[in-house]
Amino acid sequence: MGMILEVKELTKHFGKIQAVNGLNLTITSGMVYGLLGPNGSGKTTTLGMLLDVVAPTSGSYSWFGGKPNVESRQQIGAILETPCFYPYLSAVQNLRIVAHIKKASTSRIDEVLDQVDLSERKNDKFKNYSLGMKQRLSIAAALLADPPVLILDEPTNGLDPQGIAEIRELISKIAKQGKTIVLASHLLDEVQKVCTDFCVLKNGNKLHEGPVNDILNETNTVEIAAEDMESLTISIADFSGATKVKAVNGSLQLELGQDATSTDVNRFLFDRGIVLKKLVTQTNSLEQEFLKILRENG
Amino acid sequence: MVRAFQLEWLKLRNYRVFWILVAMYLVALFFATSSLMFFLNWLKSVGADLDGIDPTIIPIYDFPDIWQNTTYLASFLKVLLGFIVIISVNNDLSYNMLRQNVIDGISKREFIISKMALIMFLAAVSSGFVFLAGLINGSIYSHTGGMSQMFNEIEFIFGYFYDIVVYCTLAFLVALLIKKSGFAIISLFLYTIMFEPILVAMLENAEYFDGTIWQAIAPFFPISAINDLIHIPFGRYVFQEITDYIPLSALAISTVWLAIYISAIYYRLAKRDLK
Repeated sequence: MGMILEVKELTKHFGKIQAVNGLNLTITSGMVYGLLGPNGSGKTTTLGMLLDVVAPTSGSYSWFGGKPNVESRQQIGAILETPCFYPYLSAVQNLRIVAHIKKASTSRIDEVLDQVDLSERKNDKFKNYSLGMKQRLSIAAALLADPPVLILDEPTNGLDPQGIAEIRELISKIAKQGKTIVLASHLLDEVQKVCTDFCVLKNGNKLHEGPVNDILNETNTVEIAAEDMESLTISIADFSGATKVKAVNGSLQLELGQDATSTDVNRFLFDRGIVLKKLVTQTNSLEQEFLKILRENG
Repeated sequence: MVRAFQLEWLKLRNYRVFWILVAMYLVALFFATSSLMFFLNWLKSVGADLDGIDPTIIPIYDFPDIWQNTTYLASFLKVLLGFIVIISVNNDLSYNMLRQNVIDGISKREFIISKMALIMFLAAVSSGFVFLAGLINGSIYSHTGGMSQMFNEIEFIFGYFYDIVVYCTLAFLVALLIKKSGFAIISLFLYTIMFEPILVAMLENAEYFDGTIWQAIAPFFPISAINDLIHIPFGRYVFQEITDYIPLSALAISTVWLAIYISAIYYRLAKRDLK
């Protein structure tokens, strides 16, 4: 896999505040990398340094295995915080500037505007756009040069639920084309749904890094319920595979031992003449994991 | 340079404010370069008496004097070009577009080059206009003619071009240092037409400064230096000695200022985080 980005000991201080502290990252081709963290954790500052608008206090980074930065940036589609365009120019006129800077052809302008559903308003001035339209135009600008790498900082900020769903779908679609995406967000299910890898930042420190799938595995917690909860409670006490049984909201929550599975639970109870009306194997969510990581490092 | 200018062109091509300002500037330039005969006729009509000389016979549009006469007058309007530069730079800063441009893939150096390209463009348009106006007015009113007379002293057009380039580079720097465009424009305007000229006039002429170092440094002030490129020419019509060439000292001092402006712009942008 090709090396897209390598970050070594990247550090930024604003006066006494440590915005980013000795950050190391490695992003390879095809990853959809989630940068998580509460507000003010250093996500945008990190991306700002990687895009040369914030000067690092120390440390280094290299794009595409050491390509010059200006050239690299022309091959990166990036959205950093709020959408920035000339308010007195239309969408098309603004995108012509982007195309010129990125040395890209202007022939894709209509295509990307279509992709973000702005074709009908393409000749209106940017200043007359709604926040959602502005956000979508910045995504169009990021896609314009058909870049192999996208950096998206809170791409669904200010969008309505439908817009968020559309952007999420768009990101998954782009990721399937084999593009590499770095996604900074505090919306966790957004990251959980599209990212392959993620890291957690807090106060400029990297607390955790790893593949998203590793933490979304099934847990050993099973929730069961039956019409006759009383006999269920009595019967389950004899099930040797459960290490802990707890009543929760009209169900029973079982912690299963190493060898037991939800199938075993079901079979055991069926043999005892109890038919379950509910059997749910719980999976971890990124949100739980994220909060746990923050708690452990609080 | 071409690529840098194209970037600037895309930003300004559909920016109405820019074209209105350019149009207003050109109208003002037209009056500054081409209305002198009307002015002299008006002087005559109100009965101005210049030691018994009819004002309309003053050969103000004669080749080659016309070049210094018109560039001297046109040079007063360079402050308007400074405003255009401030507005253009300020747009990129206040809308966070310099940051966005850098993210999209230019270097800060390219940004500086693109603004310098704009400055050169404005200076070239203005110089071209003054040159054409000189040719036309000269061919209508000049008592002298012939190629050698016509293009003698044409160096004033180049001096004029340089004057604008240096001044607009100062405006570029001011726009970077003062982020509110209105404040930047008023500061530049007052400094150019009042604060420095008055200060320099005091240093040069007040008895108090006679023979002091202050008097000696007066020509080194930034506006004074570029204004000295083209000296006031009208003394020749009342038989005074005038500086009818571009003084090398003014050229040298202006060039040093230009280098200082560009270095300051570069330093300012290189060290600043684009938040």
